[in-house]
Amino acid sequence: MTMINFKVNGQPHSLEIDPETPLLWALRDHLSMTGTKFGCGVGQCGACTVLFNGSALRSCSLPVAAVEGADIITIEGLSDAGDHILQKLWVEMNVPQCGYCQAGVLMAAADLLKRIPNPTDDEIDAYISNICRCGTYPRIRAAIRRAAQEINA
Amino acid sequence: MKHSTRPSLKMSRRQFLVSSAAVAGALSLRISSTNAAEASASGDLSPWLMIKPDDTVIVTVPSPEIGNGVSTQHAMNIAEELECAWEFIQVEFADFTREYQQPGSYAVGNQPFFGGHSTDHERMPFAMQLGASARERLKLAAAQHWGVDVAEVSARNSVLSHKPSGRSLRFGEVAAAAASVELAAEPALKPRSEWRLLGKAQPHKLYLPKVVNGTAEYGIDIQLPGMVYAALLQSPVHGGQLKSHQPEAVLGMPGVRAVVVLDPSATPGSPVTAQPTFGFDGSEIRSGVAVIADHYWQARKALAALPVEWDNGLGAFWSSYEKLQQRQQQLLERGQGARLTNRGNVDGVTGTATVAATYHTPFCEHAAMEPLNGTALYTDQGLELWHPAQDIQQAFWVAVDESGLQPEQVKYNQTLVGGGFGRRTTSDDARAVVAIARQYPGVPVKVIWSREETSRQGAYRTAIATGYSAQLGEDGMPLALQGEACYSGMQVNIGYTDMVYAATDTIPNVQLAVSSLPTHIVTGAYRAPCYNSHAFTIESFIDECAAAGNIDPLEYRLKLLANWDPAWSDCLRVAAEKANWGQPLPRGQGRGIAISNWPHPGTQQAGSTVCAVAHVEVSQAGALKVHRLDFTFDCGRIANKDAVLAQLQGGILFGLNMALNDGLSLVDGAIAESNFDRLPMLKMADIPEINIYFEALSDHDRFAIIGEAPVGPIGPAIANAIYQATGKRIRSTPFRKADLSWS
Repeated sequence: MTMINFKVNGQPHSLEIDPETPLLWALRDHLSMTGTKFGCGVGQCGACTVLFNGSALRSCSLPVAAVEGADIITIEGLSDAGDHILQKLWVEMNVPQCGYCQAGVLMAAADLLKRIPNPTDDEIDAYISNICRCGTYPRIRAAIRRAAQEINA
Repeated sequence: MKHSTRPSLKMSRRQFLVSSAAVAGALSLRISSTNAAEASASGDLSPWLMIKPDDTVIVTVPSPEIGNGVSTQHAMNIAEELECAWEFIQVEFADFTREYQQPGSYAVGNQPFFGGHSTDHERMPFAMQLGASARERLKLAAAQHWGVDVAEVSARNSVLSHKPSGRSLRFGEVAAAAASVELAAEPALKPRSEWRLLGKAQPHKLYLPKVVNGTAEYGIDIQLPGMVYAALLQSPVHGGQLKSHQPEAVLGMPGVRAVVVLDPSATPGSPVTAQPTFGFDGSEIRSGVAVIADHYWQARKALAALPVEWDNGLGAFWSSYEKLQQRQQQLLERGQGARLTNRGNVDGVTGTATVAATYHTPFCEHAAMEPLNGTALYTDQGLELWHPAQDIQQAFWVAVDESGLQPEQVKYNQTLVGGGFGRRTTSDDARAVVAIARQYPGVPVKVIWSREETSRQGAYRTAIATGYSAQLGEDGMPLALQGEACYSGMQVNIGYTDMVYAATDTIPNVQLAVSSLPTHIVTGAYRAPCYNSHAFTIESFIDECAAAGNIDPLEYRLKLLANWDPAWSDCLRVAAEKANWGQPLPRGQGRGIAISNWPHPGTQQAGSTVCAVAHVEVSQAGALKVHRLDFTFDCGRIANKDAVLAQLQGGILFGLNMALNDGLSLVDGAIAESNFDRLPMLKMADIPEINIYFEALSDHDRFAIIGEAPVGPIGPAIANAIYQATGKRIRSTPFRKADLSWS
């Protein structure tokens, strides 16, 4: 067991924890923040995507030891009131179906728009490598494009 | 899978009984069929609808929400008649214990708790009558309050108005009073011409605000005081047994509390006659072992360190999927299958050309994004379960059966469901959760399958081999069609023995047979079970017949369907026209077409008819790119256009993934693919241009289910396009395993 100190959505946390525990399970299990989802455990599906010091990262494959001193943003902290432009459009454009994978998609999309405010389809394809089994990809693409328009308007 | 015949939407309102109660200042209403009402005349009211003093409208939904928007549609059906403001609506899942205590409380129609069916004709009139009854009770309460004639009171947007005096009241202000008014008769429903929501409004799914801020609660998200976690491992070869394990090797590891065994012979059994929707077959415990620990990662780590030995049993005989395919092929060659469909006499027909082909569709894993899971608390008092089931009634009775407790002692809590696709219908997962919690009583145990365990312990799509032969006449059209489908797993004949080409009279001689090659692999429902294979095989074979007859595949189908429900031909024509059918393409590119219907392919004006045209490109090296899918459909009418569009998009992409990617292999009896590194799934970059057209909708008087049908025509449309592009017939899925190279 090791003491790990890091911030989640601006709040400092100190966890006495097995340092090999993936960040995903530290968030879900030790901090009771269940918005970040478990999908595959091997970094393939992206359901567990969070922002690590401002960059999208798959939290299932990162030992919590690696986040000492880091700033983590999860879906719960993407905005103060659930009103990030992507969150608003995701609802308005009826993007999610079952919704399980969408926290991860939203975090990846937020990171994409921060880096590339007006992404091309190829850039969206390259950035959003999350798996959605309900088939929401066309709506994810449409919502990202519309967010880009509104941001750049 | 059971499927009912379709009752008329014009059900008499005398078939319903609405009763009311005041609950904490709220109007609470229940509705039941009159024939179910007597049995539940006593006891507390099981609410379907509650209107609270603050105007909140609580709609009880007797179906799980698996992402198809069923709860939102149910609320929309009620709101159409209730005239409440949409923003006041909240939904809650029905409590099955109430149904047990008062049979008929929520069980309406033949599949009362199944996820996909609450927007169709079975549920819709109940929901609308409920809304109308509540509205009239509120109006009468307001009229009595004002001392005016109820005919002068109107309801709109959660407000009751008396125009002559200019007075108004909110719904919530008269809710309690409305609970005690007596209606002389249940009101008639609005004519369709006066609908303001259905067919017009397109609200987003009600739970989405919680999805996007991370507060939506799926099964895996349940948090309870003192909760511990379990990780499990079951026999990698289905039907195998745990031979030995050494708990002492891991009991000293950090956080580990216990190691428990999953023993199929230890199921206590229900103390009363159980009524699981689909029976208990397929829900049995799979032999295995689970580690319980303070935290999930501790349980995972200990499980990985636990020495385990298995007795693989007979399943190890199936050393590979290829061996299974060979045995299926041998059965087809014997031709001894049960002949379920017979028209004319296929044996007496000799045409000018014979076409014959065999197709293989493999086991497929649902790969819902939420891994299997559940949380249970077993105490002296009873069992409480929190779970993402696709069928609440099934999960409840499985929990009773595995706990051995009286039904009154079992409390079931339905959560949101992170993808179903049929996987969560039998509740084998709920049973394992209860079996583990039963052995660690007193604290809530959350059991989470790893992705690998979820994949290895699937209830897969049935593997089928289907052989067809046809005799073509001089005009190139079939004089006789003969087929046999050999099932390894759950057998569903929809789209095969009742296929449209057997139902029309354009092929005079048809014989369709079924046979079975049982294996140890557990199979089950997979988005439109078996139809998703049958659509691929028959639509590929019809295409082969068209090619042999030297007739355009579109024209061929139009000829075969000339005497049939014209919506089918409309679907074909519109899709083809939109896809520029017939316009030349460069070498290596092609278009293909396919059509199917779920779940009533052999009945006119029933179910959902769906048609796809695929435009593909295949490089000479064999790399496949699906450029575009043009899609038409007829489900009669639609209640929420955007919700239908979402289901079509989802079904099309599920069908695309099924055709391109999904397909499992066997190694010594065990499923070889356990995570997405070996079982690739479609991603954003793989998505073609998808065009969905509403022009073929017939406006026939039905709201047929729409989420399942679209998976059918995608694969065969692509395979037929590959043939046009390369001259190669691809007779098995997934296409990623096929050699598509050409020269």
